[in-house]
Amino acid sequence: MARMEMGPGSPRGPEEFDGASEVVAAAHTQRRIALGYGLVFVLATLSVPVLTLFLPWWSGSRLLGGMSPSFVVVAGGLYLFFLALGIAAATLARSVEDRMLGTSPDDDGSPG
Amino acid sequence: MSGTDTVSLAVFAVVATVVSVVAWRHTRATTVDFFLAGRRTGMITNAGAICGDYLSAASFLGVAGAVYASGLDGVWYATGFAAGFVPVLLFVAAPLRRLGTVSLPDFLAVRFDSPQVRIAAVVAVELVILSYLVPQAVGSGVTWELLVGEGIGGLSPYATGIVVSTIAVGGIVVIGGMRGTTWNQALQFGFLLAVAIWLAALLWAGGFSYPAAVEQASTAPLQAVVGDRLVEVPNQLTGAPARFGTPGARYGPAGQLALLVTLVLGTAGLPHVMNRYFTAATGRAARTSTVWVLALAGTFYALAVMLGTAARVLVAGRAEEPWLAELTVEGVLRVPEHALPVLGRLLAGTPGLAVVSAAAFAAMVSTIGGLLLAAAASFGHDVVARIWRPTGGPREAVLAGRAAVLVVSALAAAVAIAVDPERLLASFPSVIATMVTWAFALAGSALTPAVLLGIWWRDATARGAVAGIWTGATTAIGALLVGLVIGANPSDGLTAVLLAPAMIAAPISTATIVVVSRLDTGPPVSPRVWTRMHGTAADRQAERMARITLRGRG
Amino acid sequence: MRGVGPLVAAVTVLWAVVVLVSQVLAEPPLSPVATMVAGVALTNVAILGYASTLRGPRQHRARPRAIPAVPQDRTDDGDRPVGLTDEVVDAAVDLLMPLLGGDAVSITDRHRMLAFAGPGHDHHARGSALYAPARGEVLATGRTMTISGRGDDVIGCPEPACPLRSAAIAALSIGEEVIGSVTVYRSTDDPPEPDLVEAAAGILSLHLALAELQAEQRLSLDFELDALRAQINPHFLFNTLNTIASRIRTDPEDARQLLVRLADFFRYAIRQRGQFAGFSEEYAFVRTYVTLEQARFGDRLHVEYDIDPAVLGVEVPVLVIQPLIENAIKHGASGNVGRTTVRLRARVDPLSRTVRVVVRDDGVGMPADTHATMPVARGPHEDGGVGLRNIRARLGLLFGDRHTFEVHSAPGEGTTIHLEVPMR
Repeated sequence: MARMEMGPGSPRGPEEFDGASEVVAAAHTQRRIALGYGLVFVLATLSVPVLTLFLPWWSGSRLLGGMSPSFVVVAGGLYLFFLALGIAAATLARSVEDRMLGTSPDDDGSPG
Repeated sequence: MSGTDTVSLAVFAVVATVVSVVAWRHTRATTVDFFLAGRRTGMITNAGAICGDYLSAASFLGVAGAVYASGLDGVWYATGFAAGFVPVLLFVAAPLRRLGTVSLPDFLAVRFDSPQVRIAAVVAVELVILSYLVPQAVGSGVTWELLVGEGIGGLSPYATGIVVSTIAVGGIVVIGGMRGTTWNQALQFGFLLAVAIWLAALLWAGGFSYPAAVEQASTAPLQAVVGDRLVEVPNQLTGAPARFGTPGARYGPAGQLALLVTLVLGTAGLPHVMNRYFTAATGRAARTSTVWVLALAGTFYALAVMLGTAARVLVAGRAEEPWLAELTVEGVLRVPEHALPVLGRLLAGTPGLAVVSAAAFAAMVSTIGGLLLAAAASFGHDVVARIWRPTGGPREAVLAGRAAVLVVSALAAAVAIAVDPERLLASFPSVIATMVTWAFALAGSALTPAVLLGIWWRDATARGAVAGIWTGATTAIGALLVGLVIGANPSDGLTAVLLAPAMIAAPISTATIVVVSRLDTGPPVSPRVWTRMHGTAADRQAERMARITLRGRG
Repeated sequence: MRGVGPLVAAVTVLWAVVVLVSQVLAEPPLSPVATMVAGVALTNVAILGYASTLRGPRQHRARPRAIPAVPQDRTDDGDRPVGLTDEVVDAAVDLLMPLLGGDAVSITDRHRMLAFAGPGHDHHARGSALYAPARGEVLATGRTMTISGRGDDVIGCPEPACPLRSAAIAALSIGEEVIGSVTVYRSTDDPPEPDLVEAAAGILSLHLALAELQAEQRLSLDFELDALRAQINPHFLFNTLNTIASRIRTDPEDARQLLVRLADFFRYAIRQRGQFAGFSEEYAFVRTYVTLEQARFGDRLHVEYDIDPAVLGVEVPVLVIQPLIENAIKHGASGNVGRTTVRLRARVDPLSRTVRVVVRDDGVGMPADTHATMPVARGPHEDGGVGLRNIRARLGLLFGDRHTFEVHSAPGEGTTIHLEVPMR
């Protein structure tokens, strides 16, 4: 019996495509995420010079041997922070993409 | 000492040539292959190449030099350079790649569907590239002058360094195309990182303690060489003498903020770095590459800061050695950029010096290569293939790109030779880093606002983008010229903002785009472009094909 | 407790780090007030960050179990397949008539006529015998056939006045078993397009499988909830089929994409076994549905999604959101000549642990008493689909009083549905 091709019939399956309104929604959500993380980035980075201006302890005390808290953060801590922020943002962005665009992958390939 | 250095530079040149020749054998002469390596570059290779493009002499010698000269305030250069990739990751990487274009102007032209945007972006891109190339050429001239010390064919040593590096890099790009430079860039970044790790390992093996070194460097007031004698550096925040481990040696609040904003905004508009994103396999790969960039560049900058600190302590301790006495005044280096090469010699003798200078040259060469290729892509692809002779075919675009490489590198070399480094060095203690900041300011003011709004705001129109690019570029250049003419103080106050003008020019450019787009009656972005830029269909298709290929193999 | 555990742990660790860094390691220690400010600031950041994280499984869950095989012991005499009630087949032939390019359409089971529309309906009425010999071959092999000619061995109708001269016959089947046929007739010798007829029969077959499956589910242990499960509105099916058929020639690529989406739609509806599914899966189902409806309504239907990233990892009752959207589209786009916008907004409140979904349309609205009495769809009802009362009943069974389901509607002012359910 001739059957209509439904789903993963051919080995490659159907071409992927995105609908316009769902991409608009995904871009909107991604923008919220990016702006949120961007705000955290700006606040954390700016807090260093602000603390320098208003908190003498920040650059005056000794934390690890001869380093002030300010030196520890600027010379090492911020890079770790950027990396952690980047990993978190990339993971979230990817997982939101997976859930907001395309259909759920059928890895088993056999609809039963 | 010039004998060893020449050998090590020769070794470096051989390595670069070999990689380029190997790459050339795999490169077919289509436009996409020449400019973008066929889009098949692996993720970590790509991240390494992005770092190779990005880490110029300003990063390698400049960061350590700035830390050496100014302590904690010098560290902000490193922080700013690394921080620049956070906005790229959050806002730019994936959509930039997904629109599937060839260069930054091409991206803007497709997004705004307008040849006017393409022209404006090409002009801005070429300006950024030129203003980024000149300090690199200055850097290669200065390095040659200090390490080789001899001119060839009647040229001064300074001019010889510029000519040699220009010919070498121009040749690599023209012959090898981008695949050559992608592998070159990744290889050269690997070389830089390995040198930094090697120096750090030598330090640890010698019983070096980072916190103790900071403590020791901070005990006495910070001093700098002016003319032939030492002066104390004033603290810009308090007016008292500055110390290594405390802020204020270089910047007041305004100067620091202006620098930071300029570096953070500028990265997303640097054409040679952004072009590298088009070689990622998918939008997701571009984003993940950026995470790797944050890791690799963060490691490199953290090490560079530590090495600068170590140089401050070790140089002072061994200043009585005759070769070092030439370069110092009472234990303080005359030129802060010498910190790393000198540290190399202190830790590993003349081979150490040779390796560090080869790494510095690698940093410059890889950045110049990326810049020339970006110039070639935006001229060959955007001007010739898209505007001038759309019927010319890919061969013509590649030829035009190669011609652009020759023209732009010759132009940059000429400007660099014409610049009087003695005079500039006198007014700006770290001239390379400062001039690079100007390129960042131009990129961040002219290109970044258009890129960000183009990606995330559907109502941004072509007229808005054109107005924003022109306004941003002219504001930034104008502010810079005014600042240079009135002799602005780079450390603080309103005039400091003039020397790192992204803080004023980028908001003006953004406001211009918003206002003009709002007044414009033209159409917003086409749904097709938006779907391609933010949709993941191509990514999913590519990933599924990859899965099927893997399964078929296994 | 499970939900706030990570937050409690994070706040504890944060304060330990703050005290360690500012009081133990630092020389001199930070002043108590500044330490408090730092700790409170970091705690607030942790709470805000926790509220915006995406919980739930990182990967897609394993697909639900495959559908159990349809039992093959169905007796052939007398009892017709579950989905083929009189109303269904009558509606089906009426809908198929204009889009299959024939003069008459019929649906049969293995032995007799179930429904007929078009010239000749007087003597091909429900229950009449099957004449065309070719149909026997179709029922036996499942192949699609075309016939043309008036003779006994072709159309085979004994009535001399019958105007039908050619036909295309396609099999209706559940699984591998052929249970009936769809036939399109023409009054000329040029037979109808067999591919279209076969496509229509394929869709109908799918619908039958679904109905069959649901009939069996009613017998299962959780009868109460399963009895309320969704049934696909046949009008939606036929409308979509109509759209696809109209594009097969003008825009084959578009038609192909729509078919893929239609397959996705059915796969999800058929395979869902549990009472809950990830929001992202339900959302994908909604998007599939909306794509199909947008193909039909074109520019008249505009859908806006506003989805909090945190909601994507949450589990929600299965097949609830799509019927709300379907309802909104029905009361928006269908009755409205102008452009209709349907908005889906989903948020999560991590502290009260609730999921809020708002569906809003700017359509014609409903009179105040309609939505309360909207019928529970049971098979092919004129209003079709899963009515709001169905959802109300299922939510009541699942959550008791711990949910909110409010419908605000007035004629001319559109409809807004608020749904608030606890997180699992």
